[in-house]
Amino acid sequence: MEWKRKDLLSLYDLTAEEIVFLLDTAEEFKKVSERKVKKVPALRGKTVVNFFVEPSTRTRVSFELAEQRLSADIVNMQAAVSSLRKGETLLDTVRNIEALQVDLVVMRHSAPGAQAFIAKHLSCGVVNAGDGAHSHPTQALLDIFTIREKKGCVKGLNVAIVGDILHSRVARSNIWGLLKLGANVTLAGPATLVPREFEEIGVRVCHNLREAIADADVVNLLRIQHERQAAGFFPSTGEYAKFFGINRETLKWMKPDALIMHPGPINRDVELTSEVADGPNSVILEQVTNGLAVRMAVLFLVAGCVKK
Amino acid sequence: MTLKKLLYSPTEMEDAVDRMAGAIQAEFPDGNLALVGLYMQGVPLSERLAEALEKRTGRRPDLARLDISLYRDDFGKRSALPLIRETVIPFDISEANIILVDDVLSSGRTIRAALDAVTDYGRPRLIRLAVLADRGCPEYPIRADYVGFSLFSIPENHKVVVHFNEDPEETGVFEMEWKR
Repeated sequence: MEWKRKDLLSLYDLTAEEIVFLLDTAEEFKKVSERKVKKVPALRGKTVVNFFVEPSTRTRVSFELAEQRLSADIVNMQAAVSSLRKGETLLDTVRNIEALQVDLVVMRHSAPGAQAFIAKHLSCGVVNAGDGAHSHPTQALLDIFTIREKKGCVKGLNVAIVGDILHSRVARSNIWGLLKLGANVTLAGPATLVPREFEEIGVRVCHNLREAIADADVVNLLRIQHERQAAGFFPSTGEYAKFFGINRETLKWMKPDALIMHPGPINRDVELTSEVADGPNSVILEQVTNGLAVRMAVLFLVAGCVKK
Repeated sequence: MTLKKLLYSPTEMEDAVDRMAGAIQAEFPDGNLALVGLYMQGVPLSERLAEALEKRTGRRPDLARLDISLYRDDFGKRSALPLIRETVIPFDISEANIILVDDVLSSGRTIRAALDAVTDYGRPRLIRLAVLADRGCPEYPIRADYVGFSLFSIPENHKVVVHFNEDPEETGVFEMEWKR
């Protein structure tokens, strides 16, 4: 197949074939990081701006390393020091960035659709590094890459996503990607955080952990944010851990070879105990390694479609 | 009807590969060398060359496959993105005698990229170049050391295509028109 997109905005937009093409490309990029010289000249002479309007450490570091390993030139911009603080509109800010002959903008923003909006106005490529609760395509791609690598396929697998689905862009992106590739998706967590409405898009909604993970091949645990507790979505992190945390006992409810995943940063003893996070089922650090490969593949493919 | 003219038959290709193996053997009589085939057609060519060398020396050279798409200098200028294929180098490049193997030498740009790609894996003792067809129109100062056929009179608007196929009808060195 031929890749034709200058932007990566959401997995919702992609076909199954495009997702598989991205994953296959990432496999080859993973090998670059295992070599003596961890760098290829593919994006030499291209400039990438990492524009993070919402704070991020791991995603930004992962993108930055991916860009460096492709030999791109990099500029990092953060909202705290950008002119957005001085009242400039988002579109004016990115138009100013583009006027500097930039080839790609990697953006994180708290407003859903912000990247889709700027992509429409810019001729350079746009990669979504997270927009509000809407989408985080590279995270879902690295999750699916890890699942495929470990399980050999995605089609027909049972994947349980546990935690705060309501506010999670990771969950939404995973759902679209997994459904397109033929996996069965179960969402689990407190009813306040996992509304029944999700059933309309073809996933199972479950408010009981044991039921959700009994037949799961993959259990993806999402971070519980403490501010959600303050907002009354659940009474306490202790209670959350009691009902939805994975520990030595609840691990026994799962298939022995089920994968434990987490996009990080993990809250030890909330979503999972240390025994589980550091145990044989956990692929959490491999997700991080694979994230680099996936982001290299995304940057390489979209950069190739930016018309200059 | 686009032009597709057979320049060399499968038998003639076999003879050419054997001649190349002979020239390589003359330079490396102990057979201490590694063949690195460039995708796409350099890979099957390197396998045939390895067979021919094994017949002559009794020693099968190390074989590797190299994808150079990340090292090209025309990234973003071509209409289609290159498909990245698996690079497999199952031995240590450092101090090895490397022979790059490709089907056609034309501008020399692919070989320029291959030199960068292969040296990212280590520092070989030496690198040589073997091609089945040399068109003799290099844009870079790159020449082949082992050549099957010299095709210096093919017009610039035609391409030389090498096919290795199970079906002998489809195997051969062809002259074709570029599709525009």
